[in-house]
Amino acid sequence: MRSAEDDAKTPEQSFWSNWSSWEEVDVQNSLGHDPLFVFPKDKLVEEGSNVTICYVSRSPQSNISCYLEGVQMQGEQLEPNVTVFNLNHVAFIRETGTNIYCKGDQGDSIKGIVLFVSKVLEEPKEFSCETQDLTTLNCTWDPGSDTGLLKQLSQSYTLFESFSGKKTLCKHKSWCSWEVAPESQEMYNFTLTAENYLRKRSVHLLFNLTHRVHPMAPFSVLFTDVSTTNATMTWKVHSTGNYYTLLCQVKLYGEGEVTQHNVSVEVDGEQLFSGLEPDTEYRAQVRCANANHFWKWSEWTHQNFTTAEAAPSEAPDVWRNVKSVQGHSVVTLFWKPLSKLQANGKILFYNIVIENLDRSSSSKFLSIPAPANGTELNLDQCSYQIHVTAHNSVGTSPASVIIVSGDPGNKEVEEERVKGTEDGFSLSWKPQPGNVTGYIVEWCDRPRGPLCDLQWKSVGPTTTSTVVSSDAFRPGVQYNFRIYGISTERVPYLLEKKTGYSQELAPSDNPQVVMSNLTSRSFTLSWKDYSIESQPSFIQGYHVYLKSKAGQCHSGSEKAVLSDDAVCCKYKIDNPKQKTFVVENLQPESFYEFLVTPYSSVGEGPHGAFTKVTTPDEYSPILIRVILPMVFCILLIMIICYLKSQWMKEKCYPDIPDPYKSSVLSLIKSKENPRLTIMNIKDCVPDSIEVLNKQEGTRKSLTETESSKPTYLYLLPTEESYSGPGPCICFENFTYNQAASDSASCGHVPVAPKAPPSQLALLTSPENLLKALEENYMNSLGEIPAGETSLNYVSQLASAMTGDKFSLPTNPPEPALCSEYKMQMAIPLGLASPPSSGSSSLSSFTLLDEGEHYH
Amino acid sequence: MGSCLDKYQELLGQLQKQADIMQHTSLLLDPYIQSQGLDKDGLKEHCRERPGAYPSKDALQGLGRWEFLRTLDTTLGHVLHRLTALRRDIPRAQDLEILNRAKQNIRGFKNNIHCMAQLLPGSSETTEPTPTGPGTSPSPTPTSDTFQRRLEGCRFLHGYHRFMHSVGQVFREWGESPSRSRRHSPHQGLRKGTSRMQLSRKNKRLLPRGQLPR
Repeated sequence: MRSAEDDAKTPEQSFWSNWSSWEEVDVQNSLGHDPLFVFPKDKLVEEGSNVTICYVSRSPQSNISCYLEGVQMQGEQLEPNVTVFNLNHVAFIRETGTNIYCKGDQGDSIKGIVLFVSKVLEEPKEFSCETQDLTTLNCTWDPGSDTGLLKQLSQSYTLFESFSGKKTLCKHKSWCSWEVAPESQEMYNFTLTAENYLRKRSVHLLFNLTHRVHPMAPFSVLFTDVSTTNATMTWKVHSTGNYYTLLCQVKLYGEGEVTQHNVSVEVDGEQLFSGLEPDTEYRAQVRCANANHFWKWSEWTHQNFTTAEAAPSEAPDVWRNVKSVQGHSVVTLFWKPLSKLQANGKILFYNIVIENLDRSSSSKFLSIPAPANGTELNLDQCSYQIHVTAHNSVGTSPASVIIVSGDPGNKEVEEERVKGTEDGFSLSWKPQPGNVTGYIVEWCDRPRGPLCDLQWKSVGPTTTSTVVSSDAFRPGVQYNFRIYGISTERVPYLLEKKTGYSQELAPSDNPQVVMSNLTSRSFTLSWKDYSIESQPSFIQGYHVYLKSKAGQCHSGSEKAVLSDDAVCCKYKIDNPKQKTFVVENLQPESFYEFLVTPYSSVGEGPHGAFTKVTTPDEYSPILIRVILPMVFCILLIMIICYLKSQWMKEKCYPDIPDPYKSSVLSLIKSKENPRLTIMNIKDCVPDSIEVLNKQEGTRKSLTETESSKPTYLYLLPTEESYSGPGPCICFENFTYNQAASDSASCGHVPVAPKAPPSQLALLTSPENLLKALEENYMNSLGEIPAGETSLNYVSQLASAMTGDKFSLPTNPPEPALCSEYKMQMAIPLGLASPPSSGSSSLSSFTLLDEGEHYH
Repeated sequence: MGSCLDKYQELLGQLQKQADIMQHTSLLLDPYIQSQGLDKDGLKEHCRERPGAYPSKDALQGLGRWEFLRTLDTTLGHVLHRLTALRRDIPRAQDLEILNRAKQNIRGFKNNIHCMAQLLPGSSETTEPTPTGPGTSPSPTPTSDTFQRRLEGCRFLHGYHRFMHSVGQVFREWGESPSRSRRHSPHQGLRKGTSRMQLSRKNKRLLPRGQLPR
């Protein structure tokens, strides 16, 4: 151990004493009862220092581990219970110090220290002193890093002036005040010393006080005599002594411009601003510095002022839109608000004078309050001159004059296409041979909206081109421009029309296609409702895509591969006004899909859903064309036949004379033979069926028929068993068998020998009998084939009539049993006119062949 | 002390919420560990509450309402003193600001404890809780060893947050079942203050509300 005297005035001259003698201490005894000790406690070192840490354990067998901020340290064991750790270039970690701790295996006991590592004290930088009022010096510096720790305060700063020998402890880390001596001390020599627990650092500064004057900001900035174009600015400065002159800098900001003036000032400053704009706010600011020995500018002092209003300097830019409604002209006047420079103040209202040029005595006056930018006028078909003026609180603007002619003079002007760009539309037009006072380009910012937002641009008479740009222009919107010339009489007349897109976009919609005239080979597509004007680009035509399974494309189309790799045929229509297309060369009964999409210079419409269609077969239309008329004709004939049935009947199959009305009856009556009567077929009851077995081959002759032996099937009781009241008259098909008639009063039905009993039994029932009769009847209508067994009926009628032909028999047969018969009428030879036997049989056959029957 | 809420349930709810907030270690313990460099393996496990430093949860639940409030007030008074002592180990201004905010919260909580004590039956004269006996002080004598003091501070704050968690649970029991726990029931206080009830204007206001069991 040794000691030294600490002298602040002469820190370099420290004298150390001699070292004391060594003392030996028994650590184990001096530490007390704790099992573990770590040293040194709370040591303070500078960053980058080398430090040695050690621990002493009471038990040498303890396995002790030591850590620096959680990282285990490797130490050097000096003795069984003493280990040291050498830390080199320790780093600053935190203001609360670095934790170093040791603990044994058990982990229940922990001992440690906090090593306080301080940042290295830096030399103050940018040390400077100045005065604003020559009474106080303000010294500032950059202190650098703070070396404050939990165990150490931040570094302190002291200011020492060597000429006066004064010293002050600064209260702040980066600045300090120094009172200037009342005597006129001009030179100052300062030493600034930074100091902490470990180190001292000093800097020096020598200066002349008058050269370090930093004036305070000017004050009392005022504006006087402010007119429309002029204003005077005055200000005051803080006194810095009687012998100092200040240089002041004045800046004026207005309308985006800056003007600067330098003024030499002792007490008060003044500056005149001229050439100002009316009704304009300006911002003026001033700062000052020592004119003799410039050190620093003062802070700015700024103030705003506004010039007075003046009458509007320009006439409003006026345009019109004229519509004819029911013999009147609806004139919508538009005007643009005057710019700030033109208005020279706040526009309060617009005056409109409407002067009838056809009747000079008639004029109308309107006042429209601002900020309106238009009005609507209902005028007759006369010509009018309209004056528009803008008014502010001071005066009136020049008038803007426009003529609305009674004759609209809308001549047809062909529309041209223009190509727009991001910067707008570049429009040009032909110069007019006559005198024009200017041109106006008119368009709508929102052509698709209900209010088109009419815009216009006026150019001079020598200009024949302009670029129209607007923030409202959107890609894919068609804009229409009209270029008017303004005559010397101020009458606008249409010169040219132009239309275009600022940027063309691919068509977004496909037309709604209607298919018609579908045949097996073709169909027709039409999209009449598709409007090409409302598309996002100029439509140049259409593509018709046709998908088919065959995949072959005919002439007029080309193969195309769609985005989904589908192959189809593409037809191209070059005329955007052509809105129908016939798809031909199709296959019958085939499936097709088609799509119609418009195309423009930037692409075609979306490839949306295809429409499906299947062609019909080739013959169906023909059949329909043939069958329908045929059916119609047949129906027509049937209707005619029905309507003319009576006529047809008379012509084709006249009524068979009624035997009751026959002259034969009169003949019978004249003979008064009660036994003779006319047979009513309804009164017949079949009693037997003759079955004829014809030989295969040719038809038998009449004579052979007569000689054949028919077989009879008795359906009714024979004469012996039947006790019917009246005699029977028998008939036979095909031939009239007189013999049979004679041999038996009731005829027998010849029965085929090989007829099965079942069939016979069936025939015995009335129903089966009717069927059999019906069948036989049907067969009798046609040609009987050779060798076929046929049935010939021999009806034996038990006549119920005894005298009165309308009276019913006592046991009448079923009327149905007598139906469906072909009958022959047998007239007794004695009563009828006697023909020859052969002819008699022949005539009977003929009658049957005509199919006479009763129902 | 400012004016008190005279509605028992509202005051109880406020105490519950305050306790719930103050139990969060992000208010004190976490910033302390961060600023002192104790967030290292091998150190964190030594930052545990010393047994007996604060009353346990069971001990708190076993107290009557009056005793509970007294214990709570006394313990928090110790905590305030200990937090003041902790300032010397916290150099950074933002950490000191955290410490000061926590102290203000504790003072506000203590104020509400006093208000609650006044609402308990028979409390008209004993509004100032008395300190508890030895063994409940959470502030052992600070040592000069910075490292040991740092660990002690950490343990103290750990115990503080645990203690406030227990306090919040006890207050919740008050709200859930005022008559479930005989010890926490205001019956005890009611019986004690029966003779004084007619003298206490606050107690007269308390009874008609029906918030306390009869």
